[in-house]
Amino acid sequence: MPIQYYIALASALFCIGVVGVLTRRNAIIVFMCIELMLNAVNLLLVAFSKMHYAKAAAAGAVTTAGTEGQLFVFFIMVVAAAEVSVGLAIIVMMYRNVHSVDVNFLNRLKN
Amino acid sequence: MDSLQLQALLPFIVLASASVVIILLIAARQSHTVIQITGFLMMCLVVLAMWYVRDVLPRAIMPLLVVDGMAAVFTGLIVFCVLIIGLFSFIYFEEREENPKEYYILIFLGTLGAAVLTISRHFISVFIGLELLSISLYALIAYLRNRNNAVEAGMKYLVLAAMSSAFLLFGMALIYMDTGSMDFDGIAKQLQTQGHSPALFVTGIGLMMVAVCFKLALVPFHLWAADVYQGAPVPVTNFIATVSKIGVFAVLVRFAQAVQLQSYHFAVIIISFVAIVSMVGGNLLAIKQQNIKRLLAYSSIAHLGYLLVAFLPGNAAGIEAGMFYLFAYSITLLAAFGIVTMLSGRQADADQLEAYRGLYWRNPLMGAILTVALLSLAGIPLTAGFIGKFAVLNAGVQQQLWLPVIVLVITSVIGLYYYLRIISTLFAETQVIFPKEKSLHPLFVAGTYGALLVLLILLLGAGIFPSAVIDGIKNFLCQGFRIINF
Repeated sequence: MPIQYYIALASALFCIGVVGVLTRRNAIIVFMCIELMLNAVNLLLVAFSKMHYAKAAAAGAVTTAGTEGQLFVFFIMVVAAAEVSVGLAIIVMMYRNVHSVDVNFLNRLKN
Repeated sequence: MDSLQLQALLPFIVLASASVVIILLIAARQSHTVIQITGFLMMCLVVLAMWYVRDVLPRAIMPLLVVDGMAAVFTGLIVFCVLIIGLFSFIYFEEREENPKEYYILIFLGTLGAAVLTISRHFISVFIGLELLSISLYALIAYLRNRNNAVEAGMKYLVLAAMSSAFLLFGMALIYMDTGSMDFDGIAKQLQTQGHSPALFVTGIGLMMVAVCFKLALVPFHLWAADVYQGAPVPVTNFIATVSKIGVFAVLVRFAQAVQLQSYHFAVIIISFVAIVSMVGGNLLAIKQQNIKRLLAYSSIAHLGYLLVAFLPGNAAGIEAGMFYLFAYSITLLAAFGIVTMLSGRQADADQLEAYRGLYWRNPLMGAILTVALLSLAGIPLTAGFIGKFAVLNAGVQQQLWLPVIVLVITSVIGLYYYLRIISTLFAETQVIFPKEKSLHPLFVAGTYGALLVLLILLLGAGIFPSAVIDGIKNFLCQGFRIINF
């Protein structure tokens, strides 16, 4: 499959994520949208890693080209998990304070 | 990895072990005082380790890290800031009911993240450092969870920071596609060849700049700054304003140096635009503020705009000016937020300007330190801030960056207005009786006053004898520039 398809799919997922973060009011759904953005990047990285490998392999010789992309995906997954665990803890605290996970309630800080 | 590389990493290993030591102390049910003192000693140990390994620098730990002179300057500044913030934290958290012990784990983890940023030369280490810093910050901002505003600030920072990380990653992925490499030198080498497509590279850099501007709180990605500064506990605000900005700026400088970012016309235009709107926006938004934490947030937006003017030339003079500016800015903010910490009571932070009315007559030392800090922020001669601004202007004028330089000068005058407004409040007459603060362990009160005095001396010292600091930075940077040839 040409690489453009992967880029189009990942960009679409990323844009859906951005729109979701900007428009949704439920904190949990905002979180899901952030996960969507991170996973769009994961897809992109895996596709590029495969592409670089194929390019290097076509030029001959055994190669390690493209391993960095796949390694990066693991790091992103680990960090996303850590981020969500801290984030959910903050959402729980928010729920205790205002009995809602609606981000519209976050409007107390002003001059 | 050979032993010399391990040696070069020693300060960072000590820094990482600091949080583990604190976890063990908490498990052994030690008191807040013991944890505080241990944390202080661990930070001193990091400084000692840095001094001990100075001869093995510069050294690259392929492919992720490089420890060189520039990293040493930035890490030293970060560790110094954390030492001072740690001291202020004791007084601040001892007064509150919440259990303050885990706070120190998070602070040291955040410090480690910022320190990793200063030594990274690969996208993976940049990302890990940045996330280590941000995830600690999410928890730190919302640390005093019974105050509703802290959770609100934490939530805002969390959503926006996570989103900006996603932008950073998307930009990194595009650059990876373009160049097939993730380490800075590899990218730079690939950019020399003709095989890459400029469109992808420009898009990637643009997306990465979004994340960097967010972390540095530059206009137009500054909206979180005031709310987070206001909602976070004062020592954490201090941490965000100094340590996280130093770390992100360090990685920006290293990346720009590797790929010669300033030789691309589009990058110069974007950075100039961001710098100009930050200087104008930050200063204008600060004018009418009555809340000192929000005011310092807006002023930090403007100051990071000034810093970008030093970043624009992309030569050695610009980097030196930027480093000196960061040094001056950090010690100034440490002193200013230190006073806010000292005045904060059990119930609320001393963030309203009213709380500072007549401070000079109540407590001359604190009033004097805050006055000097504000004068330094405004860039009045004989303070570190003036020399910093002078160095930045000098670097800008040498490269004939007339527009940013003129905006810098004009906005500094606007800035002077609101800093002087606070200073006039400090000296105003007052009839209000302020409640006496709770008495703390005298050792810590003495320590905090000592730290404030050290900051005062540094502020004035760097303002009157700047050559010592500038020569020090130059020496370290010479070490750093040697690394390009190996």
